[in-house]
Amino acid sequence: MPGLGTTYGRGGATTAPNDLLNSDAILIMGSNMAENHPVGFQWVMEAKELGTKVLHVDPRFSRTSAVANIWVPLRAGSDILFLGALIRYVLESELFFREYVVHYTNASVIITEDFKDSEDLDGIFSGWDAEKKTYDPKSWLYEGVEPDKSTRAGQAAPQGCHGGHAEHGLHAMPDLSRYHQDPTLQHPRCVFQLLRKHFARYTPDMVERYCGVSKDAFLRAAETFCTASGPDKTGAICYALGWTQHSNGVQMIRCAAILQLLLGNMGRPGGGILALRGHASIQGSTDVPTLYDILPGYLSMPKFGEESKTLANYIEKYSSCTGWWHNLDKYIVSLLKAYYGESAQPENEFGFHWLPRVTGDHSHQGYWLDMLDGKMDGLFVMGQNPAVAGPNSGMERRGLSKLKWLVVREMVETETASFWCESPEVKRGEWRTEEIPTEVFLLPAAGHAEKDGTFTNTQRLLQWRQKAVDPPGDSRSENWFAYHLGVLLREKARRDPRPRNAGLLALKWDYSIEGPRREPIAEEVLQEMNGYIVANHELVPGFTALKADGSTACGCWIYSGVFPKMGENRANQRTAKGFYGHGWGFAWPSDRRILYNRASARPDGNPWSERKKLVWWDFQSKQWTGLDVPDFTGTKAPDYQPPEDAEGDAGLAGDKPFLLHGDGLGWIWVPVGLSDGPLPAHYEPLESPVRNPIYPKRQTNPAAEAKTRPGNEYATSPDARFPFVMMTYRLTEHHTAGGMSRTLSHLAELQPELFCEISLELAKELKIEHGEWVTLVTARGAIEAHALSTARMRPLTIGDKLVHQIGLPFHWGYNGLVKGDIGNDLVAISEEPNVRIMETKGLLCNLFVGRRADNAAQLSEYQSIAEGKIA
Amino acid sequence: MTKAAFLTDATLCIGCKACEVACKEWNEVPDDGMIWTGFSYDNTQMLGASTWRHVMFLEQPAVAGPQQVDMENPFRWIFLSDVCKHCGNAGCLEACPTGAIVRTDVGSVLVQSDVCNGCGYCVVSCPFGVVDKRHPDGRAFKCTFCYDRQSAGMIPACAKACPTQSIRFGELDELREASVARVAELQGRGYTDAQVYDPLETSVGGTHAMFVILGQPDAYNLPPAPEVPTIYLKSAWTSALVSALVLVAIVCGAFLF
Amino acid sequence: MAATDIPGGPGRPKASEDRLDAIRNEASTTGKVVTGAGRAHASAPIREAEDYYNLPVLKPPTWTWEVPLYFFIGGIAGVSSVIAFVGHLFHADPPMVRVALWIAFVGTVLCPALLISDLGRPLRFLNMLRVFKWRSAMSMGSWILSSFGAAVFLAVATNELVLYGIQSPFLPALRWVGEFAGAVTGLLLASYTGVLIGATAIPVWHEHRRLLPAHFLTSGLGGSSAILEFFGFLVPATQILGFAAASGETLVGIMLELRHSRVDRPLHHGKSGWTMRIAGTLEGPIALFVRILWKGSAHGRYAAAACFLVGALCSRYAWIWAGRASAHDPQAVFESQHVAIAARKAAHRAV
Repeated sequence: MPGLGTTYGRGGATTAPNDLLNSDAILIMGSNMAENHPVGFQWVMEAKELGTKVLHVDPRFSRTSAVANIWVPLRAGSDILFLGALIRYVLESELFFREYVVHYTNASVIITEDFKDSEDLDGIFSGWDAEKKTYDPKSWLYEGVEPDKSTRAGQAAPQGCHGGHAEHGLHAMPDLSRYHQDPTLQHPRCVFQLLRKHFARYTPDMVERYCGVSKDAFLRAAETFCTASGPDKTGAICYALGWTQHSNGVQMIRCAAILQLLLGNMGRPGGGILALRGHASIQGSTDVPTLYDILPGYLSMPKFGEESKTLANYIEKYSSCTGWWHNLDKYIVSLLKAYYGESAQPENEFGFHWLPRVTGDHSHQGYWLDMLDGKMDGLFVMGQNPAVAGPNSGMERRGLSKLKWLVVREMVETETASFWCESPEVKRGEWRTEEIPTEVFLLPAAGHAEKDGTFTNTQRLLQWRQKAVDPPGDSRSENWFAYHLGVLLREKARRDPRPRNAGLLALKWDYSIEGPRREPIAEEVLQEMNGYIVANHELVPGFTALKADGSTACGCWIYSGVFPKMGENRANQRTAKGFYGHGWGFAWPSDRRILYNRASARPDGNPWSERKKLVWWDFQSKQWTGLDVPDFTGTKAPDYQPPEDAEGDAGLAGDKPFLLHGDGLGWIWVPVGLSDGPLPAHYEPLESPVRNPIYPKRQTNPAAEAKTRPGNEYATSPDARFPFVMMTYRLTEHHTAGGMSRTLSHLAELQPELFCEISLELAKELKIEHGEWVTLVTARGAIEAHALSTARMRPLTIGDKLVHQIGLPFHWGYNGLVKGDIGNDLVAISEEPNVRIMETKGLLCNLFVGRRADNAAQLSEYQSIAEGKIA
Repeated sequence: MTKAAFLTDATLCIGCKACEVACKEWNEVPDDGMIWTGFSYDNTQMLGASTWRHVMFLEQPAVAGPQQVDMENPFRWIFLSDVCKHCGNAGCLEACPTGAIVRTDVGSVLVQSDVCNGCGYCVVSCPFGVVDKRHPDGRAFKCTFCYDRQSAGMIPACAKACPTQSIRFGELDELREASVARVAELQGRGYTDAQVYDPLETSVGGTHAMFVILGQPDAYNLPPAPEVPTIYLKSAWTSALVSALVLVAIVCGAFLF
Repeated sequence: MAATDIPGGPGRPKASEDRLDAIRNEASTTGKVVTGAGRAHASAPIREAEDYYNLPVLKPPTWTWEVPLYFFIGGIAGVSSVIAFVGHLFHADPPMVRVALWIAFVGTVLCPALLISDLGRPLRFLNMLRVFKWRSAMSMGSWILSSFGAAVFLAVATNELVLYGIQSPFLPALRWVGEFAGAVTGLLLASYTGVLIGATAIPVWHEHRRLLPAHFLTSGLGGSSAILEFFGFLVPATQILGFAAASGETLVGIMLELRHSRVDRPLHHGKSGWTMRIAGTLEGPIALFVRILWKGSAHGRYAAAACFLVGALCSRYAWIWAGRASAHDPQAVFESQHVAIAARKAAHRAV
């Protein structure tokens, strides 16, 4: 998300799956789209029938590869090498869309002379603090831009507060509107030339040697994709967890984002980046987040320190002089009014002090490690199964046993709910159930057809779901649970007058409830998210109506407009008009289906071409019009020039499509907002079979955290004990941790047992018979699986050695109709620096014939496997 | 709909198995056993009493038309969803002694479960190995062509669920034409071994479920020349009659001597 | 797959699956005739044997132990009523006619019971008479069995009444009607089962659809005369019938041994193959020779009869097992159909 968020302004897919019909080429990388988004994939298949070239770059030949026009195998973890080489190819072959690049990106912007590239510093950028292991991005700024708007907001945030889900999570927002530029792209310190210099060594030769991709295959792929650009052609990139679940995942996405800006594909039909979100409504779960570092609408959670001493400080830090984030104050105040209602007044800064402050790494990994250290009393687990899905799931289960209480709300008894009696640790005698102190509550939850509400899917589309049946027995919806829990907690708080309960008591908690089960009315919640005028409760038409004086309330500003007046629930509308389906559901923001669509028109307002027209300036009526809702101020003329000192959106010219950025440009270079560099650099995964060929002195992403500790050890890179590269992934037939699929016979029978995919060559080398049991071991643990030997797995020649890759689906656990070992027992707890996601691809492992119990002697030789995780 | 038909196209299939699941959900078909086979991603193996759509996974040392796969040897992975063929001349229907198996008003072949007494004769009469007896139920089951859905103006569950239109549902004549056109188009695009599987020139007389496949039908366990077993009746009964006459002669002879 | 040496001395490549694959590969790559040693000499490019993971194309018969037993008993009962009628016609010993009728009657009780027991839903057995479909051998069989039962019941009942001494002008006439009807339906009963399995999709069955009705009739013949012999009717008629049946089965056995296509594999391999051979030997040559060598002695005739009965019973099971094995062999389906396709193409070219 921050990969897209920093580059373009919003962290989310910039286009919709059906727009792929307009693509001339589609690059699917870091994704197995056909298997994990089969319904969305229909558009890829249809596009292919229309002549679109579909490329799949992936370590495995999966069901996506089977139907792609071109499949390129790739060593897991070497994506930045490949993508960087594509960038270099575009620059050297002059395939970049010059007019677009000059006008709509910061390619022409000149960077401060303090900047030193990783090419100059052997693998790190300027500003690296080796002790704190963080970057100070001052030297990444534009020449002529002051680092901070004010001194107060300039203090460094506490260690670990580097959540990057907010657009500009790290440092104070400098005024980026005052930059120097060279439209000829020749200045040695302009972004374009720095880019060229940075990726100069990412050659097809390097790709051949270290990605395992033959030069021919690389050039074929490069030519196919990179020629689908220009005024008449566009190409799209689709990615998913094959990129995000890496220690440098955000930078992988950044490479793609840079590529799309160079090729001029952003904001245009058939272009864009389709970030394929996984679960139903996982987009919704970051929009209205349960993440520790952001508030609804990607506002930043206040961090403990100077920035959160007052609301004014917070606004000062996070709003921008120019660009749309200048309106931040309206959104935070409206949010506070939504939370605290009458209790939120100008006098008490609208209750800003009742919001929690981030004091460290409270991400999933972060607090789980705290849990392991006994620092947490209790945990609610709702709609997640960390005992199977969490990285180093053995440690996750260990963490659960350190809690005093655990509440699991689920439709089935997941492995998390039964860790205390069914886990492998209990079965092996390592734990005794009687000695686990955790009190576990399993509460039944309602399924998706048993409750009202919205899902927000990958294209930012909110669709309302109506309850079809009552949930059975005592099962209840999340709304019911959260609401009634809140009621009970507030009752308790009333009897406990300590200041810490003031916020709880101040909450506006008066949702209407209906029916014998006393269910909160979900539509009311959606209305609150839309926003309303406090005085008369009139719903607002959109976020432009929100104010910073406390007269409006809005639960999620990016959703504003979904419920513009009573009775008009746009998420529930089902009459689609036009290609982009307006009238079916509501896409945030403001039902814009293709983001940054101002870029589909030339700087003068006319479309780049008839074939690729989307949004254009109507010279008669003097407003933007077209096939989509313009992602732009409707009446701002294309030739508008902002007056000196103009603020907010008015401070951006009429040819600046990326309106959330202070400079209105697409950021090929990210001056602020990322923890690990303004440009992507190739680092190896935390465990790798080779040394970093680009930066031998910096093996891995310096800002990533390995969280090494007993039980969470790593192999060396390379490691004779673990010669094979492993990656975990999903199959179509199962749902992640398997709670909803291993319990359903119709799904469980499709893939009933855990298997790993190995190449025919590896099977021959290790004398593994197809289908027989093998044991896989990493520095974290060991599991057993069937060996599926297939030509679809290819060993690659990396450097001077043959590297075998092994694939492992991770869906199995110890409950359900079908059971199996837990794949994530092999994965390490690690944190990518911006989003704190773990690395599940590109691990090192070893493999033996036979079941775990048969290999006990061999496994005990692996000293890194702590606490006897065998048999 | 006068003659309902399926056209299932391997070149559009992504192997997602939504068809298998949708069918089971709608028709409340029980599971067919939790068996891991190692046959690529196919753990279903074949059609049967409790599997009415079966997705096949073929890993072959061949090219899929113009596809470029960076491997040393040619390779392709083909998916196809198999189903009851709803034959023009159906072996199961002819064999059924209770009249449980009938031709419906949409031209499909339907087993009426309230009549079937589980004699098992349809099972050995199907040249495609589709219909089978379900244990412990005792009756024979197979794809109903979602006759209940069709009667309510809906399309079969599998066709509805298929995300890529690999399973097309429509009028038999139209889909027959479409299949020929599709194969011509595919061959033009470089899929030189594309063909229609619809055994018109056999006694089965064409099927109402046709397929567009790459390569030979054998690779998909589709019989290349299926016959409806009634064609064997004449020779068998003739032999019975002649043998009976001979036997009577022998018996007469035995008593005369 | 074990490699087997072929005659011809050292230096020649061993015949083995690998070698066969190599020949096939060469043939399909070059598209030309491949000369070379192998188990089957190539005279045309050999089709690369292909199937889907060697999984069956067809479904095996679901019938259990009752059905082959029904074939056995039904065959005996059916021919027994023929023997009763013809015997009566040619003035055979009335006790023998009577026993023959009773054998048929026991059949009419046991056969439906066996079939009903095999049904998946036994209580729905009457649905068998819902329709009359001449294109379904099983529908015909249901009607044949029902009418056979009625006819034999009539014959037995009237015969008993006559023997008991009831005077009535109708009884003898009715008895003739019953015996005649019984004989006609009995012939159908004893032979239709061969049509039943011959007119199916199972390759080894439909391949032998002309043989099976004759084979089952012969079985019925030998079986019913054997049982009559056990009842003490060691007369020339039963000797001739026993002799004829055993000769017939010997011929059948020889014919089956001469068949060697992939479809015929279950007749020579595996459980079905061995049972078929042993059963065939018992009811064929062994029964024949025992009858010839000990034709004078009663014990010889009993031994021959016993051999025949055991062989005939086992043979029914062998044929069902052969059907199962045939259904499990995808190459049986493909090979036979490719042969049929080639023949059709040749016929078109000839036209």
